Amino acid sequence: MFKKIISLLLLAFLLFGCSNMKDENLVLYPVKDDPTISFKIWFKVGSQNDPKGKEGLAALTAGLLSEGATKNNSYDQILEKLFPLAAGYSCNSSVEMTIFNGRVHKDNLDEYYPIFIDALLNPAFKEEDFNRIKQRTLNYLNTTLKYSSDEELGKAVLYNDIFDGTTYGHITIGTISGIESITIDDVKEFYNKYYSKNNFVIGLGGGYDEALINRLKNDLAKLNDLQVEEIGKPQPEKIDGLNFTLIEKEAPATAISMGFLIDLVRGSKEWYALAVANSWFGEHRNSSSHLYQIIREERGLNYGDYSYIENFPNGGSYQMPPTNVPRRQQIFEIWIRPVPNETRQFVLRTALRELQMLVDNGMTKEDFELTRNFLKKYVLNFAKTTSSRLGYAIDDKFYGIDGSHLELFRKMMDEITLEDVNNAIKKHLQYDNMKIAIITKDAESFKNNLAANTTSPIEYSTPKPESVLEEDKNIIDYKLNIDQNKINIIQVEELFK
Amino acid sequence: MLKKLILLFFIFAFNMNAQNKVFPYDYKQVTLDNGLSVVLIPMNSPGLASYYTIVRTGSRDEVEEGKTGFAHFFEHMMFRGTEKYPGPVRDSIVTSLGADGNAYTTDDRTVYYLSFAAEDMERIMELESDRFQFLKYSEQDFQTEAGAVYGEYRKNITNPFMVLFETLHSTAFDKHTYRHTTMGFVEDIKIMPQQFEFSKKFFNMFYRPDNIVLLIVGDIDTDKTLEMVKQYYGNWKSGYVQPDIPLEPKQNGLREKEVKFQGRTLPLIVISHKGDAFDINNKDIFAASLFEDLAFGETSEIYKKLVLNEQKVQFVSADFGFNRDPGLLSVYSMIKNENDIDYVKNEINSTLEKYKTELVDSKKLNDLKKRMKYSFLMNLDSPSSVASALPTYLTYVPDMKIIDQMFEVIDTITPEDIKNAVNKYFGEEQRTIVTLKGGM
Repeated sequence: MFKKIISLLLLAFLLFGCSNMKDENLVLYPVKDDPTISFKIWFKVGSQNDPKGKEGLAALTAGLLSEGATKNNSYDQILEKLFPLAAGYSCNSSVEMTIFNGRVHKDNLDEYYPIFIDALLNPAFKEEDFNRIKQRTLNYLNTTLKYSSDEELGKAVLYNDIFDGTTYGHITIGTISGIESITIDDVKEFYNKYYSKNNFVIGLGGGYDEALINRLKNDLAKLNDLQVEEIGKPQPEKIDGLNFTLIEKEAPATAISMGFLIDLVRGSKEWYALAVANSWFGEHRNSSSHLYQIIREERGLNYGDYSYIENFPNGGSYQMPPTNVPRRQQIFEIWIRPVPNETRQFVLRTALRELQMLVDNGMTKEDFELTRNFLKKYVLNFAKTTSSRLGYAIDDKFYGIDGSHLELFRKMMDEITLEDVNNAIKKHLQYDNMKIAIITKDAESFKNNLAANTTSPIEYSTPKPESVLEEDKNIIDYKLNIDQNKINIIQVEELFK
Repeated sequence: MLKKLILLFFIFAFNMNAQNKVFPYDYKQVTLDNGLSVVLIPMNSPGLASYYTIVRTGSRDEVEEGKTGFAHFFEHMMFRGTEKYPGPVRDSIVTSLGADGNAYTTDDRTVYYLSFAAEDMERIMELESDRFQFLKYSEQDFQTEAGAVYGEYRKNITNPFMVLFETLHSTAFDKHTYRHTTMGFVEDIKIMPQQFEFSKKFFNMFYRPDNIVLLIVGDIDTDKTLEMVKQYYGNWKSGYVQPDIPLEPKQNGLREKEVKFQGRTLPLIVISHKGDAFDINNKDIFAASLFEDLAFGETSEIYKKLVLNEQKVQFVSADFGFNRDPGLLSVYSMIKNENDIDYVKNEINSTLEKYKTELVDSKKLNDLKKRMKYSFLMNLDSPSSVASALPTYLTYVPDMKIIDQMFEVIDTITPEDIKNAVNKYFGEEQRTIVTLKGGM
């Protein structure tokens, strides 16, 4: 046992212990034997900085830096030059953070670096690149998001609802009218304002040398000298009761997302305590999730059911949490993957009832022990590569964590107690006040059923164990306090305008 | 999908000239008496290991009428436990080990994988060997899981690409099992709950050691691990029998189909041609794979024209990857304006025609080889990335030597070889075109 603990500690050190910050504007993750170099230049800007009426400007600007010409090269020339190097770069914007990413093999650094830095320092912002990316963005908002992925759609509606009226109140990619109104001059102005020498942090990982740090510092000093004003944390309206947004569309199945604000971010002991509860209740895409067990494994009603205490965009595509999408204001979120339309009310009741039981009863000793042991090792899978470890190191700086979040995560799994977890549940989770976004068809009749609190009997196409059928009796008329004035129906065509 | 194929392709393409060796890590490969192929790859990855069980069975093997989608469905059942470790007990142990595990199914294979702390190797092996030999589930569990599979189908079908793939495969193939996607025909998915008895037969047919490759990568001692493998898998009885997969008759003419998508989407097209089965002695399949990037990649002429200059399409890309049986070589595009559909089809066909007479640029071909070299080096950075790169090839030939052999072939490919392959594969008589338009 002792040997096991020592080896785990050693492992934790090797994986997460090398992060080294020497300078306020530097995040370094050196890995001597790594033949590659990872760049992450963090600009303190995101969709929260989109001007009113120009929602999507931060993402569009980042898109043009990723896939546009520079003053020295057309975009197709850039692609030609990068091709034999097997290297590329991209600029990704989230709500509060934009990262200009690159990765290259050391052998190719001399050829790569001038292309990489040119893209950041000398964007040409050509009309043809602008039109291409703008059209693609509009297509995503008008068709892909509304008609090709009800799961992402549900989550987008939920976030927009919860943060309505604040700087977080539109999805990162923007709104249709916002994107339509953006001009190339808006992009240039935004770039000049936020891609400033006073507004970045250099992230470097892998097998770089000291000279590269200095080279980057000198080159980035060529950015303009404007001061950037910090934006305050959003102050969304308090949620009162269960607030529904039903999105009416010809949906073959019903997707459900729900959540509420939590006043907690990673780094504090309380956050790690809540992370244990959340992992037990709904670990992302893991069969250990309790909701998954109840809705999918026992009842076969859908493909999966999870919960979150941190934003997890594109959850359908990723197994492990993403880096560099930090937020000062997080929500607790439940994600129910599409269920047969006829079971929507039953499943909604099931999820809310399970949440109530977690809040009212807390975790059991047995579940607590199992989950913290699980997490202690599972977080090793969060960052397997240098690039993702550098991503975590940057997020550590964002959240003001002295050291490594993942290291702390593992350490906390030994320190926190069941009482800590159950206190965190009581303090931060609840089931009375939340926003619920549902993508479904025939929303009007669903609204009536919700408002009338009608019984939702369930019929399975296949036999179920007696224990499940007994439990169902408690679910079918589980009382939800729903005010019909708080059920809003929106046609899918009307979204994101 | 395309990117993944390209990545897999690159991963093995380097190093032959430099070190006369494709793969940078030493490995140990053994076939047990019962036919189980075992590949052990130690690498410097402090405390981490990846464990892949590759079943050389996918939707290709679903030869029985009304049983399409079964390989994928069975992937779900493999998590339902055994007598010794019933589902919830197994889940609880895997949870306590903090392992990251999952599985996926393709047309040619079903792959189960776990990443975990290497010190837990024996516990993981005990669990994995147990479920592959002694899987046991109730009819109720079976029926419930069928519901989850139907849920997965419902989730997928809201994506227009899924509808496009379904239509493409059912149009291009008449007899071969590639005529359905891995999910299966929806009418078969709906009746899956009734197939309990068949599921046991399926397990006995395909989940046999002589149809499986066990691949373990990471912080391992190969000798000790091999002993462990012998202990836990040695008594497993062989008995795999290759199913009788119908041969696809030669296509004798252009096939075209238009399909409506329920939701809104920009039009999608796919232009596909019949390829050959994976065969190390067939240089043409490797030449076609290289042609994919040269003719339709981000630096290709058609990409510059349609995506960057004229901006008529959202994307154009190709997938000329490999299959165990003769599959499809496909070019995809999403078109911004319905009126341009014929124009884009014509541009794609013209590109194919052009290279029937012209040679690809030899500098570009060399650049592609350099690109392969560095992609290879850059992407082998964790046990899971090494392990995840191998199943495609080990499914075709369960022997690591295939990788060296394959890239010896690739290294010799010339512009003339590519021209020959283009002439061989991209004739109109073996072409299938599917056009998908939004329904609103």
